[in-house]
Amino acid sequence: MVPSLGNLALYLSLFFAISQFIVSRKNKNLKFISLSVIGLLISSLISFFLLMYSHVVSDFSVLNVFQNSHTTKPLLYKISGVWGNHEGSMLLWILVLTLFNYFIFKLFNKKNSVFILKTLEIQAFITIGFILFTVLTSNPFERMIPAQANGLGFNPILQDPALAIHPPLLYIGYVGFSAAFSISVATLSLNNSEKIPWYNYMKPFVATAWTFLTIGIALGAVWAYYELGWGGWWFWDPVENASFMPWLLGTALLHSLIIVEKRKSLQAWVLLLSILAFLLSVVGTFLVRSGILTSVHTFALDPSRGIYILIFIALIGGYSLILFGLKSKRYFDNNYFTFFSKEGSILVNNILMVVVCATVFLGTIYPLLVEAFTNSKISVGEPYYNSTVIPIMIPAILVMGIGPMLGWGKEDKSKVFKKIFPSILITAVMTILIFLIYQSYSVIGIVGIVLSFWIISNNLIMLIKKNKKYSISMIIAHLGVGLLILGITGSSVWQEEKITRMKIDEKTKIEKYTIVFNKIEEIRRSNYIALQGNFLVFDEKRKIITKLKPENRFYPIENNFTTEASIHTNLFRDLYIVLGEGNSNDGWVVRIYYNPLVIWIWIGALVIFWGGISSININLRKLKTLS
Amino acid sequence: MKKQLLIIPSILFLFILLTFFYLLTIERNPSELPSNLLDKKIPKFETESLLKNERFVSSKEFGKEIILVNFFATWCQPCRVEHTYITRFSNEKGIRIIGINYKDSPKKAVKWLSSLGNPYSDVPVDKDGRIAIDWGVYGIPETFVISSKGIIKYRHIGPVTGKIYKKINLLIKDIE
Repeated sequence: MVPSLGNLALYLSLFFAISQFIVSRKNKNLKFISLSVIGLLISSLISFFLLMYSHVVSDFSVLNVFQNSHTTKPLLYKISGVWGNHEGSMLLWILVLTLFNYFIFKLFNKKNSVFILKTLEIQAFITIGFILFTVLTSNPFERMIPAQANGLGFNPILQDPALAIHPPLLYIGYVGFSAAFSISVATLSLNNSEKIPWYNYMKPFVATAWTFLTIGIALGAVWAYYELGWGGWWFWDPVENASFMPWLLGTALLHSLIIVEKRKSLQAWVLLLSILAFLLSVVGTFLVRSGILTSVHTFALDPSRGIYILIFIALIGGYSLILFGLKSKRYFDNNYFTFFSKEGSILVNNILMVVVCATVFLGTIYPLLVEAFTNSKISVGEPYYNSTVIPIMIPAILVMGIGPMLGWGKEDKSKVFKKIFPSILITAVMTILIFLIYQSYSVIGIVGIVLSFWIISNNLIMLIKKNKKYSISMIIAHLGVGLLILGITGSSVWQEEKITRMKIDEKTKIEKYTIVFNKIEEIRRSNYIALQGNFLVFDEKRKIITKLKPENRFYPIENNFTTEASIHTNLFRDLYIVLGEGNSNDGWVVRIYYNPLVIWIWIGALVIFWGGISSININLRKLKTLS
Repeated sequence: MKKQLLIIPSILFLFILLTFFYLLTIERNPSELPSNLLDKKIPKFETESLLKNERFVSSKEFGKEIILVNFFATWCQPCRVEHTYITRFSNEKGIRIIGINYKDSPKKAVKWLSSLGNPYSDVPVDKDGRIAIDWGVYGIPETFVISSKGIIKYRHIGPVTGKIYKKINLLIKDIE
């Protein structure tokens, strides 16, 4: 009964999406439009929550529940199991899409009716595409008769709190760009849209998408760090790249929108960027879902779906890019910027972000291009990304420190030097201090620390000055970036790793810590059995700091092993222990990592998120005063 | 800006999509790569041995029994993941495994093997990656199954997982 209702709601949402498309195209009756928009939102909400209900009550007459759930699973993972698989995640994707659709509709008023209707028409087209895709190739309400007594279980590696909320946040990011896309296409296709401040409409959506994409990516990194047990948090995996590329374009987009707002320049560029950001979100998802690329994160594969989504991408991508080619001419301007100004610095950053994005894109699809044209296979991995992305990022971050302090138009160079002198001083002092403490001299380490304190001190100075010219959300977000760089530098440059075989009561040393293997015991939980090691950590004064309990879990239902790292965190470093295989005679393989400053990555990401949220607020308020 | 230039993004985009389309329609499995060397004799090589004091000469080693060749390095994370299975091949199945140590520091490799356990009967050193090029190695870890006549029967790219472990075992039975 419930699954049939869910299915009905899904078809209803298809109906409402189609009616929204038709009605907003004819743009006649507001009643019909609001009926379609609200109907679409409600029906997709219903279908989503009915699927969730089926998961929660373990209704194994639903194929999707049978394949991805089990009665012994904790409630949190029954819920997150809804989007932990391809079919369910499509439903979440549609729900987020209709939410944004509703927000666009809320902006409707008499002055902007033509523009908003056009945007709603395009948004409806995108929604139709995704609902059709779900209904035709991946319907989560498919039944299984007769119902089974129990399910197959849920991939244990996905049973993690960070990963439970990671997809919804990420989807808000990806799908948020759909609103920017629709606004951009609407702007291009309307004939007298130059008079509409389309950029003011676009900005809150871009800020939302970017903010949630940031925190979504960060949570993915948290998951990789805690769950994969490899001691790292970023692996340049295709799935990670698929989220990183729209983030880079989103960053460029968010910043160039400021220039459009203030100077009315770069309009064509922003229109193109917003189209590309959404296309990249969809292409990235397509790459990993279709099985064209493999990745450690891939959990939903089916090549037959690939063809459908590829045709859809071709449709929206082809249409929007050709439209841009034909109609963007009138948005070009011949304004030249001086390099040494706010807009100059934003432009430089824009170019660098797009170059990084192109670099990552090339690395991700190059193996595919080579395979298609020469039939040979090559691999592109971490060394490529590290040696290309980092050097491009360095000037971008240097500029980021000083850009916000520059004025619009032209800036007096000697004045600027006076402004940044204190932060140069702070940066120098802090860098020397850090190196006295850590006693490690590597070039990348120095560069990272300098950049980090350069950003932090510049923003702190702006914060203290309380000048109204500086946006507070920008300062917070930039501070977050500074902290993030600190964490990234620390954990990648000064990481130490020790792999040894240990028996009970043996000890080993890493950095200044002595680690004693105390005991190992078996523990049982509803969804897994685990071997749990017990390690005592002592500092140089032989004082006990903590007990670490890494686990080797066996999930009997899924017949799958996972390792749970055990981590002791403080503001300066993480101690990270992973228990490998072994037995009581030969001992166990133990991997120990000393990861400096990791926590600053997570703090940095949270601070950026905070800045982003306050920027969404500010931009929404701006939009309200407009109407 | 010339108007004609504005069409470039759409052309690039369609070009990339066509490539994807082509890749979707042909039969392929991205993690199982065909080797050009499949069913051919192994490429000959001669190099130092990591643990023994004599040179490793491939023609002396291959061609007597079924051998697994495993390219590994201490800096390669997935190599660590697959180490359990590689060990099981030698301990449980008694299969001879030659581990080619790819672009690695000998010191670290020795330490790695002594702490994790050494499943390899011999460890030839591929310091500059020349051997890997001859074998057409695409990314490590990679594992090859060599028949008793010295012919490459199977190639797996990426870490050996439970599934692959079973598959290779079946294959070895087949060859025998």
